[in-house]
Amino acid sequence: MNLLSLAAKDIMRRRGKSVYLLTAMLIPVVILSTILLTVDNADRSLSTLASKFGFTITVQPKNIKVERIDQIGVVIDEYLPETVIQSIDGIVRNRIGNKQEAIIIAPRLYQRTDALIRRSSVSMVVAGIDFQAERMAKPSWHLSSGRWPTGDGETVIGGAIARANNLSENEVLTVDGRTFTVAGILENYNVSEDYMVFVPFSALQDISGKKGFVSLVNVQNVSLDRDRNLLRNVVDELNNSIPDIKTLVPRQFSTMKYVLLKKTFKFLLSIVAATVFISIFAIFNIVTSVLYSRIREIGLLKTVGASRSQLLFMLLGEYSAMGLAAGIAGYPIGMVMTHVLDSFVLNLGAGVRFSLTVLLASIATGILCSLVAGFYPTYKLAGITISDSFRTQWEV
Amino acid sequence: MKTSGAEFFLELRDVHKIFRLPSGEVRALDGVSLGIERGTLVALVGPSGSGKTTLLNLIGALDKPSQGEVLLEGVRIDCFSEEKLVQFRREKFSFIFQDAKPLRMLNVLENTLLPFTFFKPKQRNGSIKDAAIESIKSLGLGHRIYHMPSQLSGGEIQRVAIARALITHPAVILADEPTANLDRDNRLFVIDTFKRLSRERGITIVFSTHDLEIANSSDRIIQIKDGVLLKDEPSLCPPCPA
Repeated sequence: MNLLSLAAKDIMRRRGKSVYLLTAMLIPVVILSTILLTVDNADRSLSTLASKFGFTITVQPKNIKVERIDQIGVVIDEYLPETVIQSIDGIVRNRIGNKQEAIIIAPRLYQRTDALIRRSSVSMVVAGIDFQAERMAKPSWHLSSGRWPTGDGETVIGGAIARANNLSENEVLTVDGRTFTVAGILENYNVSEDYMVFVPFSALQDISGKKGFVSLVNVQNVSLDRDRNLLRNVVDELNNSIPDIKTLVPRQFSTMKYVLLKKTFKFLLSIVAATVFISIFAIFNIVTSVLYSRIREIGLLKTVGASRSQLLFMLLGEYSAMGLAAGIAGYPIGMVMTHVLDSFVLNLGAGVRFSLTVLLASIATGILCSLVAGFYPTYKLAGITISDSFRTQWEV
Repeated sequence: MKTSGAEFFLELRDVHKIFRLPSGEVRALDGVSLGIERGTLVALVGPSGSGKTTLLNLIGALDKPSQGEVLLEGVRIDCFSEEKLVQFRREKFSFIFQDAKPLRMLNVLENTLLPFTFFKPKQRNGSIKDAAIESIKSLGLGHRIYHMPSQLSGGEIQRVAIARALITHPAVILADEPTANLDRDNRLFVIDTFKRLSRERGITIVFSTHDLEIANSSDRIIQIKDGVLLKDEPSLCPPCPA
């Protein structure tokens, strides 16, 4: 029998007190894993959202309020003249100089309308887009089924609206008297586009009577993505040169949100630190109480030849094992807590994902808390003289 | 009364032990000197609080004297470092305490082998486990080898403590009231075992007791009161033939 198996047998014998101690160790682990998993969830949710807006800048009518990233790129009942496309193209080309690189300009036109699907009228937002430009700018845009449109009479529909209306490929829907065949269905991205129907830009201009108008213009360029100063200059020039427009930088929104998230993360970590600190006190008290009830046992082990360091190793081994158990058990509890928090409070939408880093952090926290809290009382008790350990006043 | 001399196996020279408590000083031992030969069975008798346990603790280097010297085989052990004392205890001493019950999570065999959780056994022939089983059997616990302490009687628990004490082949066994709370049969079994061990194996055994019948079975009785030796004489019982 070695020291660790003796420690394991002791944990099993004191199941009641071990569970009590384990519970105290679980608290900081669960809080830590919940917070870390929530931050991971928020981070992924944000980056997913940012990747939906693959454009560098979005030019839209000035009087459209935008407070959140997912409000960018949705403009209903407000229009810009189509001539802004040329103005935007000119300003951007002028600013980036003679670089031989692509400037993707993708105009969009939105129309709220009632479409006919299998003789039923369904209210929806139809977006007229340049499929080629959109796909070049947003490589993360994928179809869950079907193919991209090849002609004016074809459409691609959002995942949510397809599911809601039980639409599949090759079905037909009629928008303002014009018939479109569903060529493909987009994946669901948890954004407003999931509920839209996408038709060719010129086709929507025709049927909506908005010939010569756009709802917004998206622009993507590598130089603008890389050079913040250049981007700022382009945005300023666009806003100053073209009347009644507002130039937005979607990635800037995600950056702002990311900064806010980082600050929140720091605040949450301070809560974890406070919890760990309080838990260490709780564990310290429980460990001290348990150790004093074992004082005769410690005396007995010393009489049979245990040294102070061996006792320290054995007892701290017990607490480390329990800290390890708390770390492993606390992680799934943290996952459940994160899921509950996300479902009922935060609605981040990215879902809870297994994270090895968080699991390791949970285990490290469990072990560290148990060792920090257990070291001092264990060190003191392991150093007690045999004669003192058998004195009756130690009875607990 | 025997006093200091180099021929003694175990020796105490003018030993004082003073406990400083909030209520004042307690002089547990006051100038005790004695010498014990190898292989002797010694009984310490005296009323409660007379200093028997303190004396045993000092002999076994479980505590340090406030003044005086404790020697084993002519070597002062009272000034050893803790590290050296641990090693020394492992090699020379075994202890049997009234309160030192076996560990509840270990069976009789595991309790007997407990010392070897902390250090390697001295060089020997055969397996340690076999030796432990043999020792347990010799103490009449052959049918209890894999039983847990909760399944044993008080007498059997004390035999487990003796088996554990013997497994390390000590030179000295110190026992603090080993027969307290035992019925007469078990008391006699324990003292007979002690006698056998001192005769056959040359183990020096010092034990404390309130029981004069048990004390009289020893080779020598040391009477102590208020921390002072009152009497140190051979017991009434003639030594058993070897």
